[in-house]
Amino acid sequence: MNMTDAWLLPLLPAAAFVALTLLGPWLPRKGDWLAVGAIATVFVMVLLIAADFTDALAAHGEEFAGAANSTQWLEVPGQLELRLGVHVDATTIVMLTVVSFVALMVQVYSLGYMKGDSRYGWYYAVISLFVASMLALVLADNFLLLYFAWELVGVCSYLLIGHYNHLRSAAEAAKKAFITTRLGDVGLLIAIILLWRATGTFNIQEVIAAAEAGEVGREVLTASVVLLFLGAMGKSAQFPFHVWLPDAMEGPTPVSALIHAATMVVAGVYLVTRTLPLFQLVHGGPELILAVGLLTTFMSATMGLVMTDIKKVIAYSTINSLGLMFVALGVGAPAAAMLYLFTHAFFKALLFLGAGSVIHATERQDVSSLGGLWSKMPITCVTFAVGALSMAGLPILAGFWAKDEILVALLDNKAAFALAMATVPLTAMYMARVLILTFFGDPKEPESHEHAHEGSPFIFVPLVLLAVLTVFAGFVAFDQVGELMGFPGGIGEIIFLGHPHAFHFDWNVAIGSSALVLAGLAAGWFAWAARPSVPGVCLSMLRPVHALFANKYYLDDIYQAAIDRVVLSIARLVAWFDRNAVNDTGIDGGGYTAKFAGYLMKFQQTGKMPNYALGMVIGVVALTLVAFTLKG
Amino acid sequence: MSSELNLDYSLLTPEFCLAGLAALILALDLFVDDFRKSWLPYVAAAGLAAVLALSLGWVNKESDFAGLLSVDNYTTFFRVFFMATAAVVALVSAQFVQDKLRHPGEYYALLVLSTIGAIYMAASRELLTAYISLELLSFCLFVLVSYAKHERRSNEGGLKYMLLGAFASAILLYGISMIYGTSGSTFYADIAAAYAGDTSAFDLALLLGLVMVLAGLGFKVAAVPFHMWTPDAYEGAPLPITAYLSATSKVAGFALLLRLFSGAFMPVLDDWQWIVAALAAMTMVLGNLVALQQHNIKRLLAYSSIGQVGYMLMAIAALSAATSSALLLHMTGYVITNLAAFTCIIAWYNLTGRDEISGFRGMAERTPLLAAALTAALFSLSGMPLFAGFFTKFMLFQAVADEGFLWLTVIAVVMSFVSLYYYLLVIREIYVSKPEEGEERLPVPALISGLTVALTIGVFYVGIFPRHLLDVAEEATKLLFA
Repeated sequence: MNMTDAWLLPLLPAAAFVALTLLGPWLPRKGDWLAVGAIATVFVMVLLIAADFTDALAAHGEEFAGAANSTQWLEVPGQLELRLGVHVDATTIVMLTVVSFVALMVQVYSLGYMKGDSRYGWYYAVISLFVASMLALVLADNFLLLYFAWELVGVCSYLLIGHYNHLRSAAEAAKKAFITTRLGDVGLLIAIILLWRATGTFNIQEVIAAAEAGEVGREVLTASVVLLFLGAMGKSAQFPFHVWLPDAMEGPTPVSALIHAATMVVAGVYLVTRTLPLFQLVHGGPELILAVGLLTTFMSATMGLVMTDIKKVIAYSTINSLGLMFVALGVGAPAAAMLYLFTHAFFKALLFLGAGSVIHATERQDVSSLGGLWSKMPITCVTFAVGALSMAGLPILAGFWAKDEILVALLDNKAAFALAMATVPLTAMYMARVLILTFFGDPKEPESHEHAHEGSPFIFVPLVLLAVLTVFAGFVAFDQVGELMGFPGGIGEIIFLGHPHAFHFDWNVAIGSSALVLAGLAAGWFAWAARPSVPGVCLSMLRPVHALFANKYYLDDIYQAAIDRVVLSIARLVAWFDRNAVNDTGIDGGGYTAKFAGYLMKFQQTGKMPNYALGMVIGVVALTLVAFTLKG
Repeated sequence: MSSELNLDYSLLTPEFCLAGLAALILALDLFVDDFRKSWLPYVAAAGLAAVLALSLGWVNKESDFAGLLSVDNYTTFFRVFFMATAAVVALVSAQFVQDKLRHPGEYYALLVLSTIGAIYMAASRELLTAYISLELLSFCLFVLVSYAKHERRSNEGGLKYMLLGAFASAILLYGISMIYGTSGSTFYADIAAAYAGDTSAFDLALLLGLVMVLAGLGFKVAAVPFHMWTPDAYEGAPLPITAYLSATSKVAGFALLLRLFSGAFMPVLDDWQWIVAALAAMTMVLGNLVALQQHNIKRLLAYSSIGQVGYMLMAIAALSAATSSALLLHMTGYVITNLAAFTCIIAWYNLTGRDEISGFRGMAERTPLLAAALTAALFSLSGMPLFAGFFTKFMLFQAVADEGFLWLTVIAVVMSFVSLYYYLLVIREIYVSKPEEGEERLPVPALISGLTVALTIGVFYVGIFPRHLLDVAEEATKLLFA
């Protein structure tokens, strides 16, 4: 399996989607085995491609830029040539591994979790389409294909968030997610068009090369970069577009794990990583990314602290993580961002699937009605704890290495470093909170606690696998580990974009951040386990702050008011115009006019032959007069 | 003209063969018993196919018969075109003639003979030859239109067609005489030579001549205001003859117009260009708007074909190499589409006896294949992409716009949009209206199914790979502008 064969990857799940959509009802088990089989094959193929990549890396050394394979799709001679193709480099390999592995885990998990769902076959069809689109997004060598895939994952996200379509809240959430991300997508589309007009190509590498050669005007480049970033912000739920992600938790939990934790939401991070050279060409470009990332990280950590829905807490922790990745990109450390993305995929998927296991067992997802589940669900409890502590950043878990790598990269920027450090104990605290309130203490609803039990192997095997990876995935940062596993240059070579020695470890930062993590965990333990009265006291003292956090900084209300007042009033105007001017006057009026004209004209057809002959004579005379006038 | 006339009769072999075929059909009709008469359409179609194959021998050859007729790629194109059309019409007629008409021998013989007239209209390089060819075609059609002689409408349509046709012929002849008077010749090349150089002078006789020639030929192609015979003749004629009228009669008129105006009247382009443009505009608008008011499928198609004539006249108004090849392409696509539509309509009429638009309800359930093919044909006529009509119209409109007649193109596009409405009305009956109780699936003869499928494939072929046909059309019209 060569790198240039990577175009095969999206085709398999796409074929599964077609088969499931057309034949689903007639297939045994509604065809879920087709979807799982397709993604399992894809995973194996990705491993083979990764092996091929490391071989090529060993053979060519550091100047190896990746492999590309494209084919002509459409040509307007002299004006436009569209090529579609794949580009495989280190970043792609990381993403492919993450997408295919998490998708495989989630699809296996869904065999248990979604069992008995009324739209089981459709669920697997859409998941397959999503995986196909996500793989295409990752592999795309040009902006156009990337944009198609970008929109397709958005559509799949919409369909899956609204999977429980009998729930109004799910439908609303799906709509909200789609529209909010669309706002960013429009920016991305405009950016793509601007860059195409400036460079004449959609190919990402060629666009970057052209921009670096100074072929793109400064204003155009600035505008394109900002618009491009809008797209990334929408998809990756950055402030102020983040509002859709917590609501997206209305979807089935495996979907949250796959789309809203591990893959689709990091598409924005991936896009910025791919186009980072463009940002660095623009004055203030990296600073923009850094500022948005920091703001998002901090705000989401505060909101995570007060949410009571287990999935929403994890959703805010995802926004928190995504913010951190942008922070890393903002200070020009894509390797750190990719390492975080890589490890985050595992522990965040683990957290979601763990939460799913709890929801599956208790049918509750509010922490105020859970508690004490550790004795009933030990596997879920342990694996969830591993995930939560990794998210918090406790040493030797995967999240620790990745988070510290970002903090090290921030050392030159004191203010940013301070703010990032400040979110570390907050993160630890809310992760401790959700862990304690869910699994420890007394059960708040004894009845549902009574019936709670571990799910089927489909559910807990992926949990265990992901937990193992959460413990060990961080070690890939060390060359020796990779060499032991048989990769000539170590896996770090892949993660670090061919610079195996880019991993920085700073004992001071490590000790400092670990101390903060421990402090945060301790504070969480103190507040929610040791002295359960503390939160109440704090609440009464800090009521306005709590209200601010719990109401999500009132952003949803502000948006709603803006939509009601501004958007809807404009929409009403447009609707009125459409109904009266376009439809009644333009379309209907035009139609009636044409019909009436036809009605009048049909009387020339009298059926009487003298009239016909007279018509011909009049025609001859009239034409002669016309010709006479024109000529004479 | 050169003093030595080329009297090489071998150039006319295909037409001799056609005449022989017509004689053979008449003889068979006389001497075989009634049972065998059902074979006549197949004899006619097979004979036409054989002569068609024979005529391919003149591809890329260029010669003339006494300066009167040209045998070149243009003629060969139309030989193939008219013989193929006649063969399809013969096949479509098979059941209809057997069920509804008498005297099949004369019917098929006239069909074959009319083809000769149509071919010579395309081949003529001299006005009187062109006129005689036109009359040969017309006389066959006069008879064919009134062939259902026990039906009042058929007689009415045929009579109107014949009397008005005679009137139009008189106008045409008068026009020809005026052209002869001003130029001193009836040969296209000599007329062009006589007018060459001096175009500014005002010449009333020439103008009148041009207007009358246009009126006479306008009658043939059904251009407004010389179109009034069309709805009556279309409605009255036996259905296959309606199809034939809309295909061969019309295309032959354009074949003549194209060669005449490019060969003889190019030097006086300024005199007639605006007249033709005005005719085109009137024809498109009236044909399409009045079609909105029709309830009978034959009258609907009559008016829609008048609308189509408007589009085709644009190509004459904006005469150039590009518009000519686009015209040939469009006419080919149009005829294939129209034959597909008529094949379905004839089959439906044979099965149910209905030719009102409301009579097509339930077609989707009762004859799904015919319903799908008719829908494809109607979409093609309105110019939907993927179907022949889209690309051929696109090429035609673009070529016309390139010649500076953007305003005509705008009218044409708007009228295409109008046409979509009345085609959709039929499609709505086919697919949306449910059949009445107790109406079952109908058996469609295998021949008709095969023909429908073949023609529908043709519709898609022209729509998806128009390049192939366009190359042929360009090859055929190249010599007109050499």
